[in-house]
Amino acid sequence: MREITVTVNGRARKRMIKDNELLLDFLRERLEVRSVKAACWRGECGLCTVMLEGHLVKSCLVLAVEADGREVRTVEGITNDGDLAPIQKAFVNHGAAQCGFCTPAWVLATHELLRVNPHPSDADLVEATSGLVCRCGTYNQIREAVAEVSAASKVRRQPKENLARA
Amino acid sequence: MSFGSPYTTLPDFEYHKPTTLDEVLRLLKEYGDDAKLMGGGVGLIAFMKERLMSPAHVIDVKEVKELKLLDNTTGRGLSIGAAVTLSQLLEGGVLKEDYTVLHEALSKVADPMIRRRATLVGNLCEAIPWVDSPPALIALDASVAIAGHDGRRSVPVSGFIRGPVDIDLGPSEVVTSVDIPQTKGANSAFEKFTGGSEFSLASVAVMVSNGGRNRRARVVYGSVNSMPIRSAEVEEAIKDGITPGSVRKAADLASEKIECVDDVLATAAYRKHLLKVITTKVLRRMMSQ
Repeated sequence: MREITVTVNGRARKRMIKDNELLLDFLRERLEVRSVKAACWRGECGLCTVMLEGHLVKSCLVLAVEADGREVRTVEGITNDGDLAPIQKAFVNHGAAQCGFCTPAWVLATHELLRVNPHPSDADLVEATSGLVCRCGTYNQIREAVAEVSAASKVRRQPKENLARA
Repeated sequence: MSFGSPYTTLPDFEYHKPTTLDEVLRLLKEYGDDAKLMGGGVGLIAFMKERLMSPAHVIDVKEVKELKLLDNTTGRGLSIGAAVTLSQLLEGGVLKEDYTVLHEALSKVADPMIRRRATLVGNLCEAIPWVDSPPALIALDASVAIAGHDGRRSVPVSGFIRGPVDIDLGPSEVVTSVDIPQTKGANSAFEKFTGGSEFSLASVAVMVSNGGRNRRARVVYGSVNSMPIRSAEVEEAIKDGITPGSVRKAADLASEKIECVDDVLATAAYRKHLLKVITTKVLRRMMSQ
């Protein structure tokens, strides 16, 4: 056992863990962050996706000890004022959640995509979320939700050639 | 509760996080056979869950200074440290111009979240027959730099992979980098067929160097047998130029000469058909470039 400190959604959390513990288990079982879902356990479904040091990763393929001293963000941490983020409102508007099990991962991934690329093309969306699965098949509704946020974005749409160079 | 169910937990091990190469070598000397090196961990963690590997010690090399290097000095080619991730290689654009075949192969590996963690060296060291980086690296004539207690050595990727899940690396050695010679002006490309699954059923990596009279071609097939296979016949067919005629000939030769295996993913006959398809596809694309 060893003690690690991980900053989760801005709050430093200190826990004793075993070296062979997964970040997924650390978040779900030790910290009870239940938006991080455990499903395939082998990096295929993407429902355990979290942000580690600002990048999307699948937490079933990360050791908890690797996150020691680092920052993790889950869907609970994408806004800090308690209000819903634009993409979350758009998910509601378009019914982009059916059973809801995969929704936290999709919200997190599309939120991050729109942050980096406010006007993603269809191909950009498909590529960015190619590691995520929705077994209810809400892909179309998710696409509409992303399009809504993109349309409302104040960041100017860049001509195609500029995007290619960026 | 997820704790305790099969395929979800990892075997017990002690985790080490060295920051220098000397430290890695010291840990390997001490634990040798009982240790596994971990880069991004995407392979190792999956293998450990399945209990295909149960090392007593896991040595994480992600923070080792010497292994994080990505050296693209002009004239010397490209040196990719063992801790460099696929995302770093793809997003930095270092591969796009001169090492297109590797760029194309890596951009289709798994998904962006996996590529954020996975390293090229880790991908190579798995030596799984359907992994896409080895054919691309062999087409680029890349070699593997290895450090051990008795010093350093370098082996070509084609010799480094000895068989399925079998590499030329001793228990107290560590791969420090993959080195690719300068390929200025070369034309290269990668193509694979997955049939919608996560595994390649057949892949091909092609490099044609434009050295005037010394035109050389390297063509390597992956995922059709236990190891990547270079085809002298296909190379000979396109050596003097990629034309509609030579493409047809190359595709027929690939299908005819490359030995394919029957397995749960596909039959040998289907793979032979795929060889024809992907050879045609990759060469036609190179012809129009």
